[in-house]
Order: sequence, then structure tokens, then C-alpha cells
Amino acid sequence: MAKRITIDPITRIEGHLRVDVQVDNGRVSDAWASCTMWRGIEKILEGRDPREAWLFTQRFCGVCTTVHAMASVRAVEDALKLEIPANAQYIRNLVLINHGLHDHIVHFYHLSALDWVDVLQIPKADPAKTSSLAESLSPWTRNSRNEMKAAQDKVKAVAASGQLGIFANGYWGHPAMHLSPEVNLLAFSHYLQALEYQRKSNQVVGMLGGKTPHIQNLTVGGVSNAINLDSQAVLGMERLEQMKVLMDEVATFVQQVYLPDACAISAMYADWFGIGSGVKNYLAVPELPIDARATQFDLPGGYIPGGDVSSVRAFHSHADDQFRQSVLEDVTHSYYAGKTRLHPWKGETVPEYTDWQADKKYTWVKAPRFENKPAQVGPLAQVLVGYAQGHPLTRKWTDAALDRISTVAGRKIGVAQLHSTMGRHAARAIRACMLAELGQKHWQLLVDNIAKGDLSIHNPPSFPSGTIQGVGTHEAPRGTLSHWVVVDGGKIKNYQAVVPSTWNASPRDIAGAHGPYEASLLDSPIANPELPLEVLRTIHSFDPCMACACHTFDPTGKQIAKVKVL
Amino acid sequence: MRMPHVRPDRKADREGESPVKQVLIAGIGNVLLGDDGVGPYVARLLSSSYSFEPGVEVEDLGTPALDLIDHITGLDALILIDSVDDGLPGGTITLYSKDDIVRHGPPVRMDPHSPALTESLLAAEFVGTAPKEVLLIGISGSRYDAGCQLSAPVQAAVAQVVDHVLIELDRLDLSYEPAQNKQSEIWWDDAPVASLAVS
Repeated sequence: MAKRITIDPITRIEGHLRVDVQVDNGRVSDAWASCTMWRGIEKILEGRDPREAWLFTQRFCGVCTTVHAMASVRAVEDALKLEIPANAQYIRNLVLINHGLHDHIVHFYHLSALDWVDVLQIPKADPAKTSSLAESLSPWTRNSRNEMKAAQDKVKAVAASGQLGIFANGYWGHPAMHLSPEVNLLAFSHYLQALEYQRKSNQVVGMLGGKTPHIQNLTVGGVSNAINLDSQAVLGMERLEQMKVLMDEVATFVQQVYLPDACAISAMYADWFGIGSGVKNYLAVPELPIDARATQFDLPGGYIPGGDVSSVRAFHSHADDQFRQSVLEDVTHSYYAGKTRLHPWKGETVPEYTDWQADKKYTWVKAPRFENKPAQVGPLAQVLVGYAQGHPLTRKWTDAALDRISTVAGRKIGVAQLHSTMGRHAARAIRACMLAELGQKHWQLLVDNIAKGDLSIHNPPSFPSGTIQGVGTHEAPRGTLSHWVVVDGGKIKNYQAVVPSTWNASPRDIAGAHGPYEASLLDSPIANPELPLEVLRTIHSFDPCMACACHTFDPTGKQIAKVKVL
Repeated sequence: MRMPHVRPDRKADREGESPVKQVLIAGIGNVLLGDDGVGPYVARLLSSSYSFEPGVEVEDLGTPALDLIDHITGLDALILIDSVDDGLPGGTITLYSKDDIVRHGPPVRMDPHSPALTESLLAAEFVGTAPKEVLLIGISGSRYDAGCQLSAPVQAAVAQVVDHVLIELDRLDLSYEPAQNKQSEIWWDDAPVASLAVS
């Protein structure tokens, strides 16, 4: 008998993700991803000063603040054809890298690990065995028996009190959870340590950006971090050295803890390398420019159609014409009026709300399409695009991860298996290792450039009287982000943000093609429709972020899954 | 505006005890979505209208997710200002304790980045670094559509919200005084710029 499950943790106000799946004989036969709130906040930008747009766009969302700030200044700079100084590129890159590391660490340990790790198994673990298992996987110095015992004692105390606190409402004891007590404890001890290390990355963002979550150091044309190597008040050697210490600590954590954990846990759930592939068109934009003019990048961008890595097409700049010309937004199934497909520079945002209708309109998310096809974005897209181009750093960390996974799984897990729910987790860990290494490189680039006597941080913008348009792209932690701006007489005329979660959470389009979340759920097993853990696992693997909406506190608590027999 | 509060010596000033209480007054919410911006609005109003004793920080935190943990770790007291979705008329003020906030546990969520006040408090509690005192001053909103201005009933409640913050500071025995000549910091509440130097 078919059942429809609606997973909708949503309050009236918060605009968040709702997923509906139809289940036949324990498998998902159809899926709909929808967002329940209008994200028309770009409208606020119309008529404003383009130099201030980034202050507003970074308020779209508290998780993705730096990324919306960055895409916004890049969009205006693109419209003006304004280059920024090399120092500004490196300072921005260091913000992006450290924000990305913070985001990936938090996603793995605090937002998705508990989809796989059963906290209530931890009291049964043997801390000594856990410690020797951990030491067999990594040279990390905080894997001692005492460290494991301390983590276990915390869980035991909480379990004994009957007040699970932060761990209430988990899917503990679900039949799809099957790690040993020791592996559960190992992962959990690192969950606690990860709280410390994500903070270090955020501290670096704060040291450069002035504050988090909303940074202060950008300007159209560069950054506002005054540089003087001998000063403690501005960006000088003392602060740069403090940043370096923090970045080194995080790099060690990512390479010795996050990657080994992601590989071991994914290998122990190796069947999830065969579940959750979905849309195999992958899109990533180039990121981390290494010169002032942004002609070379440390993270490659490109497009892979149909999962065929041999047919990858590279994007060589932020201004790549393939990207600019090929993005459209389709509103066939979205709550908007107007033309079905529009380029973002011509984008309209005219709401036309209907009820949730499975075969008509059912979401506030538009459907971005690349060359008229849905595309998956995120760390997996970026890793595959880089791997396909033979990018040495991507190959190094991907091969290292696949070797580890294959060893633990006892069978070969290759690049072809990365098109999956677990592939997305593995790719995020791979990308984190790459970012950690590149953080050290870009720190050195900055220090060397300053040492040459270049203290320049800003090229002032000057606006022409006519109409100009630009796009700012950024490969964010969740994938390809683009801001599209039209400026007329020095004021914003149109502004559209095509965010990573819009690509991935997009609904069907005029051709009926599912968006990436929807497609990834098709044929997924569902052990118990009342506790749809499998759906959460696949959706969480994308690292969704619909929080571009309100943060209103809801004092009532809400249930999450409703099951309806069709 | 309340009168300056001059505190008497307190126990914590004595030798051997930490002389400075670490207190955060944080406004939370999205300044682009009408009444959801009331938290940041009040936070910025407070920091431009008052000076506080050392250890007391006022922050517009915008819309943090789990990184709220970093901001609340190790505090003696946390005062949060946030809009609440409780169905009461716009501008209604309700005070919530830590127990009220964490009562229902964290929601199981599709979107791991949604507002994480409950999770952040529970996580800090689990690792033993939660603030000792927590007060959430909740303001019921009436308009949450895109726009940078508060609705009239919420705007009318702002002065009372400020009073609630100051009353809590009094209770915590912390001093503050009106600030001289500080500029308004509510940058988003301006009308769009009329013109710009055009070359």
C-alpha cells in the first residue's frame, strides 16, 4: 500500500524545508522538496547603494553570512570591471577558507553524524578498545583511553538522569543504525572535540572579519583591513601569527580526525555508497583566486553532464561565459507568477501562492537550471569537477580517502561510488582537507606579498551613469552561489541571489525533471515510515540551508513526520 | 529612560573571586524580515544609548545557528532579545527562562541550519559551559514579510523591552549609565540612499 510521508518541522513563520515522499513496498517511489516561505528579500535591495548591498545580503542567513557578503561585492566589482588588490584576494580567501572549515566540521559532527551514530549504544562501549581502534586509524594525540572514558561518562550521566537534553528526539535504536558501541563512542568523543576546533576556525574569521556571524571587513573594491606588520592595532605580524597557530591546529584536526572518521563511518555503512545519487549533472565555480586579476584559482570549477567525468568542461574565470549564459530560473512548480524561464538578470519575483499541489505549484524555491537541466552543487560537485580535470590537490585527497574507505569496507570504493549519499559526506571531508592545506598556502601568499612592500587593500569604485550588470560567483560550503546585480545610475535596479540550496532543493521544472533532493530520494529504502531516518540521511548529506528566513523562537515544539495512507 | 544604576560592592569584588561578571545581551533575528529584526534593533539601540560596566557585552548576533554556542560559552548571564511565534498580539512581551526554552528538546530537523537557540543551550549545558542565568525577552511579532522596518505595535513595545533588559541588569547587580553622543547604529532602518556620486 502506498503511503505519503510529509516531513515538515516547520512553524508558521520559519521558512524551512518540507519533504514529501511517497513510499511503496518500503521504497520511495516519488518525492517533492519544498520551502514554505517566500525568500523575496532581494527586493529590499532595489534602489539601494550597490556599495552597501553586501551588508544587507549577509543578513539573508546567519549560517551563510560571509558567503553572501562575498558574492555581493564580487557581483558589483564584476559590473564595474573593477580589479581588487592581491592582498584583498588573499584576505578574502582566508575568510572563505576558515568559514568553510568551520561549516564542514559542524555539518559532519554536529548536524549529521547523529544520523549514523547511536548515542544510546555508547554506555556499552569498552573505552580501552575504542582507544586502540582510534589509534589504529590515526596518529591524533587525543584518542587515549582517558579521553574516551570521559566522553562515555558524560553520556552515561545524561542517560542515567533520564533527561537526554541535546540528545532527546534522536532516532536511537533505529534498525538502520548499526555501528559497534566502540565506533559510536569514538565518533562521539570527536563530536565533543569538534566543538573546540570549529570555534578556532570561526576565531580566524572573526580576527579578519571583525566579528562573526556578520563580518565587517569587506568593501566593493577590496577589504578594509589596514595592514602594518609592526602594529598590533591593525593587521600585523602578531595577529597573522595568532591566526596561523589556529589554522595549523584545525588543519591537524581535519586531516587526523575528520577525514579518518568520515572514511571509517562511511565504510561501515558502505551500502550508502549505492543509495541517494539523484541528479548527476554537477556544477562548481572556480574559487580561491591566486592573483589580483583572478585569472588562476586554487579550486577548479566546471560542469559535468550526466555523471560522465570524462566530459567535464572547465570554467576558467569568475566571468566565464558558459556560466553566465547558461543559468535560468524556472517557476513552473514554484509559487511565482510570470514567465516560466528567465535569466537572473531579468529575474522577477512576483509571488503567486497556491496550496501545496503535488502536480502543480508546491514550493517557494525557484528551479535554477544549467543548460535547461537540473544540476547538483556542493562539495561532491566540486571534488568531481576537480578530479575530472586532474587537479593534483583534489586527486591527492580523494585518492587518500578512497583508499581508507576501501580498506575498512573490505572492497573497492572508487570515484563511481561517490555519486551517493555517503559520497557527499566523503567529498565534504576531502574538501575540508584541501581547504586546510590551502589555508596555509594563502596565509603564506599574504605574508609574502606584504613582505614585498605591497600594503594595498582597496581600489575605489566609480559608477558610470548608464546601466551595468554583473555576476558574483562563489563556491560556498554548500556549493555554487551566484549574485546577479543590475545597477542603473549608481543604484540597484535588480538583484537576484541563486543560492546553493536553491539548486539542490529545486522543484520539478517545465520538463518534469526532479530537483537534486527529490531525485536523490527516489528508490531509497524506508524501514519505518513513522521514523523516516533514511530520508533525513540523504537530505542531510547535501547540508541544506533554508535558513535564509526568520529565526523566530518557537516555544511550543513541533512533531516532525506525518504519515498519510493514500 | 531608566535612571543610572550604581551598584554597591558585591561579593564577587572580594579577593580571590572573579571580579568581572561575563554577561552577554544578544539581539537575535533577521533584520530583513520585519518584526523578526526586533532583537538586533533593541541590541543596537541599547549599545548606542547606554554604557555598561566591564564584562557586559551587547551584540547584534543576527541569525546564528549552532555557532551561537561560541557566543554563550562560559557566561555568567545571558539576556536574549528575540521575536517569538506564540500567536499573541504583536508587541506582547513574554519572559522565558532557560527551562522554558529547552523544555521540548531540540527538534528533529530537515534543515540542519535552522534557528538553534534550543540546541545551542542544550549543547553548552552538556559540555558544562552553559550560562548560569538565562533570560529570553520574547516579543510577539505581527509582520514577518520582507522589509527593514518594525510594525507599529512592535516599535511601540521597544522602550518596554529595553526596560526589561535594564531590570534584569539591576537584578544581576550590574551597572549602566546613559551614553553621551553615541550615533544610532541601526544602519538597516534607513530609507534607500537618495543618490550616489556618479562619475
